[in-house]
Amino acid sequence: MQFWALLKRDVLVAWRRKSNIYQPLVFQLLIVTMFPLGLGAGAQTLSKIAPAVIWILALLSTLITLENIFKDDYRDGSLDLYVLSGMSLPIAALSKATAHWLTTGVPVVLFAPVIGLLMHLPSHSYAVLLLSLAIATPIFSLLGTVGSALIMNIKNGGMLLSVLIMPLLAPALIFGAGAVLESSLGNSGFGHLMLLLGFAVLTLTLAPLAAGAAIKINLE
Amino acid sequence: MNRIVKFYHEMGSPPSFYRITSYWLKPLLLFAIVLTIYGLVEGLFFAPEDYQQGDSYRIIFVHVPAAWMSLFIYAVVGISGIITYVWRMKVAEAVMMASVPIGAMFTIVTLLSGMLWGKPMWGTYWDWDARMTSELILLFLYIGVAGIYSAYEEDPRKAARLAALVAIIGLVNLPIIRYSVNWWTSIHQGASISLLGGSTGIQGWGMLRPLLVMAFATKFYYLYAMLTRAQTYLFKTERKKKWVKQALTDQTGGNT
Repeated sequence: MQFWALLKRDVLVAWRRKSNIYQPLVFQLLIVTMFPLGLGAGAQTLSKIAPAVIWILALLSTLITLENIFKDDYRDGSLDLYVLSGMSLPIAALSKATAHWLTTGVPVVLFAPVIGLLMHLPSHSYAVLLLSLAIATPIFSLLGTVGSALIMNIKNGGMLLSVLIMPLLAPALIFGAGAVLESSLGNSGFGHLMLLLGFAVLTLTLAPLAAGAAIKINLE
Repeated sequence: MNRIVKFYHEMGSPPSFYRITSYWLKPLLLFAIVLTIYGLVEGLFFAPEDYQQGDSYRIIFVHVPAAWMSLFIYAVVGISGIITYVWRMKVAEAVMMASVPIGAMFTIVTLLSGMLWGKPMWGTYWDWDARMTSELILLFLYIGVAGIYSAYEEDPRKAARLAALVAIIGLVNLPIIRYSVNWWTSIHQGASISLLGGSTGIQGWGMLRPLLVMAFATKFYYLYAMLTRAQTYLFKTERKKKWVKQALTDQTGGNT
């Protein structure tokens, strides 16, 4: 039940400090404005690259929030207390990832249609877009927890975090953006979505273990 | 004790690792140089011309061995990472961290020679083709392992364990990345040599021999460079131990 206690605490902390929640969305809005400015505002050009842009924005806006998943807990010593309380570290990592997903992943998914509208995404692709992001944002959070646990006591670890996480997220991007692209071209994105789901299940199984191991090494 | 078991235990202890591998360095370097010269001379001047690609195919004798090594060395990094993580062996740490820069170097050589090959063959230096992309991602994995180590450098043992964890995560993900990247239609030619079903691009022994010689040359070079680096790594991390001082005085003839 420590899982729920930790989850509740993390969600509350994030909720009280609302910048964590709206920062990624403001970031997405800022960057999506740059695309028509750079590419020209032609609806056809934009709708062609829309799946990739929406997906990469979701990825990047999650990335900027990852660094702090463990940093505060490490600094104020609460992480030591989790260990002392006898809590299993993979469970703690899973709880952290869930809290991160609730406060960052869910808003990103809900905001995606807005970006889709701005990028002229074909209207029949929205269902696949939402579905693919709903499957993939937990992957971002889970792998992000691993990266964040690895860099928690490095100053300015953001760059290193990107280097560590980006290669691992490449499959998610390929399958997820691929599904949206296929559906925007009028094909079925089902195969891509299934592969994405498989990757999500694999991540759910292994990432908490890796994150727990990283926490353990860092606290030794 | 059985001789093999004894050897195995000796390789696990830094002083005997240093003592034993010191004898190997010169022969390894010699093999690497001789085989490289032989392989390059035969490959570049005497191997038959390719019926389709003419003389430009000859970059294969650099490109393909380097590509093999880039993957092979990542496997070594991953496996010694597992040993580092589970048994905390110092020699495994040294082998892992010594292999990373060499592997990254081979990856860069693969990418660059591939770009030089791509210009005359495909008409472009770079194309986002499946193999090129996964090779580039492999480079990022190497950079990640080196990056996490250098970030924690003041505590080498912790740094090595974290780097080992990153290497293991990369090892698990490498096949997934490779297959997912293969979803793109590829302009890259098929594998030059396959164990089953013969070869597609390589015709005959005259072409295959220099390629295999180069594959062995890069292995020997890797062993030489890796052992040298591993020795330096052990010197650095064990610098307060007696055996390091002893080894250094022996090396400089007692002049320090």
